[in-house]
Amino acid sequence: MLPIEFSALLASSIHDIKNSLGALRALLAQLENFYIDQKPTELKHLNFEANRMNNSLMQLLILYKIDLSQFSPTIDEHRAGEILEDIAAQQSTLLSLGNVQLITQCDNELLCYCDNTLISSALCTLVNNAQRYCLTKVLLSATQEGDYVVFCIEDDGYGYPENLISSDYKQLPQMDLSTGNTGLGLFFTDTIAKFHVQGEKSGFITTDNNSQFGGARFKLYLP
Amino acid sequence: MTINLKSKKILIIEDNPSMRETLIHILGSLGARFIVAAETGVNAITAMKIDNFDVVLCDYNLLGDKTGQQVLDDAKYLKLLPLSTIFIMVTGENRQELVLSAIDNKPDDYLIKPISREQLSSRLERSIARKNYLADIENEIANGNLYQALTNCKQLLDSDDNKMRLHLLKIQAELTIKIGDFKSAGQIYENILYERELPWARLGLGIVAFSLDDVEQAIQTFKDLILQYPAMMDAYDWLVKVYESQGNDDHALFSLNSAVTLSPMSFSRQKKLATLADKTENYAIAKKAYKAVIKLGNNSIRKSPADYAGLANVYLKEKAPDEAQKIVNQLSLEFHNDPEAKLRSALLESEIHLTKGDKELAQQAYEKASFLNKKFNKKLPKELRLNMAKHFYINGNKSACDEIINDLIKTNIDDKFFIKDIVRLCDTIICKNHAIKLINNIRKEFADMNNHGVNLFAKGDTKEAFDIFAEAIAERPDNQAAILNMTRIMIHDLKKSIPDPEKIIKAQSYINKAIEIGLPYSQVSQLQIELDNL
Repeated sequence: MLPIEFSALLASSIHDIKNSLGALRALLAQLENFYIDQKPTELKHLNFEANRMNNSLMQLLILYKIDLSQFSPTIDEHRAGEILEDIAAQQSTLLSLGNVQLITQCDNELLCYCDNTLISSALCTLVNNAQRYCLTKVLLSATQEGDYVVFCIEDDGYGYPENLISSDYKQLPQMDLSTGNTGLGLFFTDTIAKFHVQGEKSGFITTDNNSQFGGARFKLYLP
Repeated sequence: MTINLKSKKILIIEDNPSMRETLIHILGSLGARFIVAAETGVNAITAMKIDNFDVVLCDYNLLGDKTGQQVLDDAKYLKLLPLSTIFIMVTGENRQELVLSAIDNKPDDYLIKPISREQLSSRLERSIARKNYLADIENEIANGNLYQALTNCKQLLDSDDNKMRLHLLKIQAELTIKIGDFKSAGQIYENILYERELPWARLGLGIVAFSLDDVEQAIQTFKDLILQYPAMMDAYDWLVKVYESQGNDDHALFSLNSAVTLSPMSFSRQKKLATLADKTENYAIAKKAYKAVIKLGNNSIRKSPADYAGLANVYLKEKAPDEAQKIVNQLSLEFHNDPEAKLRSALLESEIHLTKGDKELAQQAYEKASFLNKKFNKKLPKELRLNMAKHFYINGNKSACDEIINDLIKTNIDDKFFIKDIVRLCDTIICKNHAIKLINNIRKEFADMNNHGVNLFAKGDTKEAFDIFAEAIAERPDNQAAILNMTRIMIHDLKKSIPDPEKIIKAQSYINKAIEIGLPYSQVSQLQIELDNL
């Protein structure tokens, strides 16, 4: 038996790993500066994986806090356009290395009520995934649908595997680990979506393969 | 979308040399020509003393040095950051941790590493635009002209471009509370909440309830918020404030302790916890909090001998003189040339020796303290002077004790909490009602002075009445009656002649002071209207 809770041990290990990863990512950014014109594709992969790891760890820590009831989102009014802009800016390093196109589409006046850091972190992971599975482009958009603001990520890849098209995302972390599709990103987004409540309505997510480009389509609904 | 930073003075605070280079590189590519890079918090403060920066990019984790939050706190404390400066905290961590550690001072924005050129550019552009948009309001707030700030805020809201509408409403409500118009502020919050449940608006309603003396409602609101948003530090801080105002120190301590558990890095919360736990005789909590304060105060300008003395005192109360002596030694070491620290050490040593039963050494230490005290001539923290008075009394020097107590009461008569401390001390060591009598005498003296002034004014001796109130205010800058009467006389005077712009500014500053010391809205707003009509 360990003298402390395993989950606490896990959380502090994640903190440690995250710190090292932070150093690693800073080094990567500097490495990139060495290459002025042609950047090696290995860099793209390194960046991509480092980003993914960082996002996963951060999400794990937030989930840990939610589990301890120590977490609360900071919900306020934000421009949806600014959130999209943030995500695009965060992905810019990655995009500049590859040949995937990220298109953002949003009415400049569209306002939404959310914890913007949390939402952009969640969407970042999913955009990141979309970039991995798409062929040439990812469309990130925000629109008003009735009482909800909807963030939508669509790509032109081969679509979600059957197991990720589900109505119950609570099941996702128990997904097949062998394929690498753990669904943590979706689970996280679904969890924090539920923290966004307005009257009787609360946030939720949907996944399907009805992308206008023929690939996967993810939607986040915030009331 | 690109911004040009050509005209901006930028300060980078970052301990990692290659990260520093990267930032300089990015900023340079955005047109910046005036960039100062500091590798430590101390150097950053020095740089801010030399130049006024438009943008400060500060790393949160400065190894072995201040944290970014400490840099921000120190810079604000030293008034090194003009209102127009944009302060951005850069971090490798998740934002919530940082938000939790920020209590009094919040940065304009947070950025998470690694930072790309596009990210920095868009964030800076947004921050600059936001600052400019709100400048007319913020400048008036900084000058204390809350009514003008409120007018400017309403103007922006009426301009109806929906830009930052909710943020403007928040500012409007906060200003409305500040000028004391609690009912209207409550209405603004109600309207927002009708549209949407937002934690800060709910918090605002709690503050309004508290201000309207609906304590029960306030407590319920803050408790509900904490239940729903367990990391909402403002709700804890307000709950503590309500309990304290009710004299319910035990509940205040409990809430404050929960807040500190969540945000152990906050200097002022730890400090408050230490004092409160000390006062309520929860010595285990007090010790822990004092130790945290000392640790957090290292590398900070807020490091103070009072915190070491506080910790040593707790050890003394626990009858652990040896532990107390260790802290006194540390105090002498850390502040070896500081006369205030010497005085504190001497007082503590006197008590340590007394606890150990060595009367002779105790007497020697007391004499040393008494000698050091003479050199200060009142320029000491009030809490230390009160402690000195206690030692004078215990050692038989009643006149020296009385002299300090009298002066402390006179100069702090409008400080409710400190007056309570004085009363408590006098009640325990001298005799019951000793302080109360002195306080009543001084209050009567002032009331007479005020009445005299009012009578003179009624008789038409405006000039003489003016002098009386000027004298009263000089002696008691926070006295409500004096400030109110002074403002009335000034406005009366202004009405009679062609308004002199300088006198208008002066009258406005008295109104601002009246708001600051909490005069009721019904009185102040009337005077403000009269002044505006001139």
